[in-house]
Amino acid sequence: MLTSDGSLDILSSVTLTIKSGESLAIVGASGSGKSTLLSLLAGLDTPSQGSILLKGQNLTTLDEDGRAELRNQSVGFVFQSFQLLPGLTALENVMLPLELRGEKRAKEMAANLLHRVGLSHRLTHTPLKLSGGEQQRVALARAFVTEPAILFADEPTGNLDSKTGEQIIELLFKLNQEKQTTLILVTHDNALATRCQRTIKLESGRVV
Amino acid sequence: MNRSLLALKLLIRDGRSGELSILVLALIIAVTSSTAISLFADRLHRTMSTQAAEFLAADLVITSPALIPKQWIKEASILKLTHAKTAEFSTVLMENDEILLAGIKAVSNNYPLRGYLKSTPSDYSEEKISHTGPKKGEAWVDKRVLSALKLKLGANLIVGEKALVISQIITYEPDKRGDLYSLSPRVMINDADLGATQVLKPGSHVHYFFQFSGEAELIAQYHQWIKPQLLVSQRILDIHEDRPELGTALSRAERYLGLSSIIVILIAGVAIAMSTRRYSERHFNATAILRCLGCKQNEILWLYFFQFLILGTIASALGTLFGWFAQEALFLLLRDLLPAKVSAPSFISIFIGFFTGLAILFGFALPPLLRLKKVSPLRVLRRELEPLPTSAWLVYSLALSLISILIWQYTQDLKMTITIIGGGLVITFVFGLILYACLIQCRKLLPFLGISWRFGLQGLVKNPKASVSQILAFSITLLAMILSYSVRNDLLNDWQNQLPNNTPNHFVLNVFPEKVSAFKQLLKQQNISNIDLFPVVRGRLVKINDIAVQQIVSKDSQGERATHRDLSLTWAEQLPEDNKTISGQWDIKQKGQVSIEEKLAKSLKINVGDKLTFTIGSQQLNAMVSHIRSVQWDTMKPNFYMVFSPKTLSRYPATYITSFYIAEENKKVLNTLVKQFPGITILEVDAILKQFKTILKQLTTAINYLLYFALLAGFTVLFAAVYSTLDNRIYEGTLMRTLGASRALLRKAHLIEFALLGLISGFVAVLMSEVILFALYTYVLHLDYHINWILWVEIPLISTACIMLTGFWGLRRVVKHSPMEVLREI
Repeated sequence: MLTSDGSLDILSSVTLTIKSGESLAIVGASGSGKSTLLSLLAGLDTPSQGSILLKGQNLTTLDEDGRAELRNQSVGFVFQSFQLLPGLTALENVMLPLELRGEKRAKEMAANLLHRVGLSHRLTHTPLKLSGGEQQRVALARAFVTEPAILFADEPTGNLDSKTGEQIIELLFKLNQEKQTTLILVTHDNALATRCQRTIKLESGRVV
Repeated sequence: MNRSLLALKLLIRDGRSGELSILVLALIIAVTSSTAISLFADRLHRTMSTQAAEFLAADLVITSPALIPKQWIKEASILKLTHAKTAEFSTVLMENDEILLAGIKAVSNNYPLRGYLKSTPSDYSEEKISHTGPKKGEAWVDKRVLSALKLKLGANLIVGEKALVISQIITYEPDKRGDLYSLSPRVMINDADLGATQVLKPGSHVHYFFQFSGEAELIAQYHQWIKPQLLVSQRILDIHEDRPELGTALSRAERYLGLSSIIVILIAGVAIAMSTRRYSERHFNATAILRCLGCKQNEILWLYFFQFLILGTIASALGTLFGWFAQEALFLLLRDLLPAKVSAPSFISIFIGFFTGLAILFGFALPPLLRLKKVSPLRVLRRELEPLPTSAWLVYSLALSLISILIWQYTQDLKMTITIIGGGLVITFVFGLILYACLIQCRKLLPFLGISWRFGLQGLVKNPKASVSQILAFSITLLAMILSYSVRNDLLNDWQNQLPNNTPNHFVLNVFPEKVSAFKQLLKQQNISNIDLFPVVRGRLVKINDIAVQQIVSKDSQGERATHRDLSLTWAEQLPEDNKTISGQWDIKQKGQVSIEEKLAKSLKINVGDKLTFTIGSQQLNAMVSHIRSVQWDTMKPNFYMVFSPKTLSRYPATYITSFYIAEENKKVLNTLVKQFPGITILEVDAILKQFKTILKQLTTAINYLLYFALLAGFTVLFAAVYSTLDNRIYEGTLMRTLGASRALLRKAHLIEFALLGLISGFVAVLMSEVILFALYTYVLHLDYHINWILWVEIPLISTACIMLTGFWGLRRVVKHSPMEVLREI
């Protein structure tokens, strides 16, 4: 990465293969490059060197719109700060990725998944009127509703109390199992990491 | 799903959350104003043109010294134009041993095609309006004809060989022209009696006026058809040239309307630019999520573009509707002043308002919208990632070209457009740079200030670029309001000064030189003093630098008309007060010098130092142009194209002319004047003056309403603009409270910041306005420029108060509610 002070290596010599259906935890201290790695793997950003292959497609050779297309078709996200659209209701937020795909049964599918995460009574509420746990459940529903091949989760419990956090994790793994999704989870919580099939640890941008 | 449907959904949700209110408000104001002004200006313009047509008694008038070919009349009939004819000439009337030189006007049955005549059937009756002139065998006369010839209503008046019955006293004719030398007491007869009078013989001096009226388009078509066929001696009358005093007032008022439109567009543009910027910044996060979920860049752009298109259409439709009501209300308010029949609004004006709205929206909103396209999906992880700003080139050129097109469309004046755009650009750039430098310097002050002052000032200096654009936005809005206010004030003052209460309402011609002092003496006895009498010698300009003028003049120019007739030449030691030097020097000591009026000089390409040759009677006179001056034709005082240095014209026979004011109750003085100086001709111009004053009053009221409109739009936008800058301040204020800043400290810091913002914006606005007003007055409106010091105090105070109160009101949440509550909403 180039900064005003010259070049800055956030990640280097990271070689990683993740199998379909596998769950992987990326752990490390703050600033170790976890989120950067996630953003590169998900095609939100491009590396200054090296290449990333997602479902056989080289992300580094795709342009921004190509990556957007790939994200829409194959990738789901869960973020620490939920990232729901404030103007939309819970149902509308979950419908959004389906609508972007042109899915005609968007409403029905979204309502189903919200029912699965236990929010059938909150369909018409906007994020502002939902608790943190509820917001993250909406985010989970949004992530799984498209049945993505890969789900990226960035500190999904980071903004939640431990009890709510646990409930969310339960739900995450349950849905993951059901949908046979590849899961890539960024966390600094070792207990959470152990629930994944594999863990890699980052330190100063290197896998240790 | 259909992207447009998604856009619609997002728009409805944004609308529901109040996200769009400022933008919609700004847009509605913009469209309401532009529709109202465009409709009002269009209708007023057409009403005024109709009224102007009344002063010509027709829509189109051809003046000719002889009858026009029958084919011309036939062509007019084919175009379904109505047609009337008048013939004007002077003749001597003799009755009861009295002699009077009268101005005869023979009118056809259709006369007047526009406007009306006023007359009374006896001394004691009320005036009545009629739309036709005297019938065959009748004569309508000025009251002075009766007294001068010792006649009574109902008596016979012999014009040439024909005896006519005097049936009415004529008190008003719409097309009575200010051509002072052809105006004598009026005798109006029917065209059918003209032949029987046998006054007109081949070679007689007569002016025919062929009048036409009909649909504007057909009139224009006829105008085009007839123009190339006109002989040198024939021409088409034009309100701007033939009634210069009205023409000037009208064109100034039209320019004010144009200016108001520009001002409102500018204000609305500022508001839209600011609120779209806010809109776009508030949508960075949502856009990042959409991008993250797989929305492509062009889809993002389309999503927002489509939302704005719908928003623009709805707001423009609402604005057009409100604009319609606003202009109807304006006409309702003005109903006592305007003619009973106001021209209907044209559909084109409605569409202009509507599309102006859409054009302003996209011209100003597109750059911030384009920025949304560049939002990185990575922003979902890293909030601080801001999209690159749209290139400055794109931002400014888009808005500028839009504004230029609109200004040009409203003013139809390329010079004015270039002056405004060029001047505006230079001024904004220069002031922007100065402000930027000042803000950078202010940073040095920070360590020496107390905490609330430091926080207040920091708000301005920490991001000088953003502060400069904010200050400029406020200043431009204020500037627009100042311009509207100042131009209106000076325009009205100028009119009032031009026609004070004692504006001369009488012209006296043909005072013989030996009677001048006695004449002055008599007037002085009647408390009419300080009058200037100007000598008049009739002469024709024949050569310029020894080249015949016919070889120099271009067809249909003012120069051509001025060289086809005798001009009134005068000499004077002092030029009339309102005449201003354009070039050269007025040297009264040297014989053989002449000062020429600027427009005529321009038309005839005459410069200082040129030699002019005149024929006066059968003699020739040479004079050198030493001076070129501007003349105010609308002062109701004698004015001249050519003023010679004293003694240059002394060997030619001259008569004197003057003008003065006599109040209605003192009119009997006129009888004394006529008795003592039987040779003089008195022209009463009360009617013309009254007509002119009425028009000015109407225009004044209309202009006042336009001003209120612009001010209202300005203030609303100012408030909206302050609101659109609050997000960041709310966030910072809340953080400060979280860190333990007291409410009092925050209140004080906010007050200081907004007060400074208001004060600086106010000063910048006044400074800018002085520069622009100077240019506008000197080069466009031709008014006197002067610095208005009161504005230097008023504007910064008003702007400080407005911005401070609005900002404070907008930020009250920060100090009133708990920080968590506010943070959750951001």
